[in-house]
Amino acid sequence: MNMFLHELKAYRKSTLIWTCSLISVVLLFLAMFPAMSKDAADFKKMLDNYSPALVKALGFSFDSLFSLLGFYSSVTLMYVLLCGSIQAMNLGTSIISKEVRDKTADFLLTKPVSRMQIMTAKLCAVITSLVITNVFFIAAASLMASVVQTEAYDYKIFLLVSLPLFFVQLMFMSLGIIISVLVPKIRSVLPISLGTVFGFFILSMLSSSNGDTASRFITPFKYFDSTYIIKNSAYEASYSIVAILFIVVTIAASYIIYSKKDIHSV
Amino acid sequence: MNAIEIKNLTKNYGTARGIENVSFNVEEGEIFGFIGPNGAGKSTTIRTLLALIHPTSGSATIFGKDCIKFAPEIAKEVGYLPSEVFYYDNMRVIDLLKYSASFYKKDCTKRIKELSEIMELDLKKKIDDLSFGNKKKVGIIQGLLHEPKLIILDEPTSGLDPLMQRKFFALLQEENKKGATILFSSHILSEVQKMCNRVAIIKEGKLITVEKISTLEENTYKKFKLEMKLVLDKNYFKMNGVNNLEAKDNVISFLFKGNLNLIMKRISELEITNIWIEEPDLEEIFIHYYVKED
Repeated sequence: MNMFLHELKAYRKSTLIWTCSLISVVLLFLAMFPAMSKDAADFKKMLDNYSPALVKALGFSFDSLFSLLGFYSSVTLMYVLLCGSIQAMNLGTSIISKEVRDKTADFLLTKPVSRMQIMTAKLCAVITSLVITNVFFIAAASLMASVVQTEAYDYKIFLLVSLPLFFVQLMFMSLGIIISVLVPKIRSVLPISLGTVFGFFILSMLSSSNGDTASRFITPFKYFDSTYIIKNSAYEASYSIVAILFIVVTIAASYIIYSKKDIHSV
Repeated sequence: MNAIEIKNLTKNYGTARGIENVSFNVEEGEIFGFIGPNGAGKSTTIRTLLALIHPTSGSATIFGKDCIKFAPEIAKEVGYLPSEVFYYDNMRVIDLLKYSASFYKKDCTKRIKELSEIMELDLKKKIDDLSFGNKKKVGIIQGLLHEPKLIILDEPTSGLDPLMQRKFFALLQEENKKGATILFSSHILSEVQKMCNRVAIIKEGKLITVEKISTLEENTYKKFKLEMKLVLDKNYFKMNGVNNLEAKDNVISFLFKGNLNLIMKRISELEITNIWIEEPDLEEIFIHYYVKED
């Protein structure tokens, strides 16, 4: 419990900053919704001039763009997801690597706790930080949505399209953790997390412009397709299973690798 | 009863040298020195004992328990001070010490206060703002606050001024009197000499010898250098125990091993202007051991 609280405290500032930025993004985008829906006809005309591939890559889809849910899930969430993924990947990559970087590994690992316990405490702290971020984000998004809505929308679907933020974050967090136990010394977390997240983000743009379904498995950004969720009020089973498997396997592997890892002096 | 038993411990770092077949025991209640030049394998051995790294082959036990398998359990009784200390910068000293204490199921508040008074450490300061020496003090208190039965020190004195070193040694001796076993690694022979009952000497990953300090001292050389008014025939010092005799103008230098009174008498008959009598450095002791081995 002491480690968990210590870790949580260490992430306090970054959690606060990321939560605020996610909320700003959603507020900013949703604030544009009333204007957008008013000019719907003009906007549609403008989009007609763009090539269909580009429009798809940018995340617009004609049918859904002008309902609140459509606007929220296609345009807003894409950027929220991007930010949230960076946050999660940062956290995941730092939990183990920061002990090496700050040379505190010797301190922590000579205490009467097993590496399993250390990993668990850190993992729980990161997940808690992510949950806090998501709770505040969804609260802010719901509030803003109810302010800007022009016609009634299904709140259950609103939640369903919002929750993938957390799932995608968990995937990037797991990826970060396994990188941090595999790479002997990570000098700086940001280049790794930004590089990975943007890499997958670009991949997701490419895969949405060519409409290929198999390539959707490669990038976490494509696992939770909002058009599908809005239509079926459910997630696609195959992608959900792969996502869960990915998270479970990477975390389990990280545990095993970390418990066998040599901690070298610096 | 042995506090530490190391059996054929080997650690390879790919092509780089680690340690090879290191075996020795540390008895309960003794202060055991572990000396060798930088990169000899002291830290590798210690880090294996602490389960920070895993041995390639061989094993080590602490209080009869395998040091890797029972690491968390052993850690309850072990206090460790690494050679370089860096702690969570954003914390105040007292927060870090409390965090450290929270790992042990005892109340360490009194002990923290006591130790910080002895080491003259301001508990309210941020660790960020501390000098290297003061950070070291945080490390010392952190390693001792749970009254460990085994204290492992990896080159503990670097960065401490002589006064603090003395206080630190006194502190260790007191812990030892209370029953703590101490494993003390260093590359400075004199500090080991002051503190320890026995030493293990390690070089290039191999254990050279384990000796009582008293035996080691009997076997060690003293370096003499004399400056005289007149040029002296260097044969004057041709006697038992004198080695490496060199004369340059009116300066004579040599190594001496044996009864010091004999050589002092010999010197007292001379008119000298200056004299240096030095402890041989570690390197020279190693040379001595290499010669013995060959």
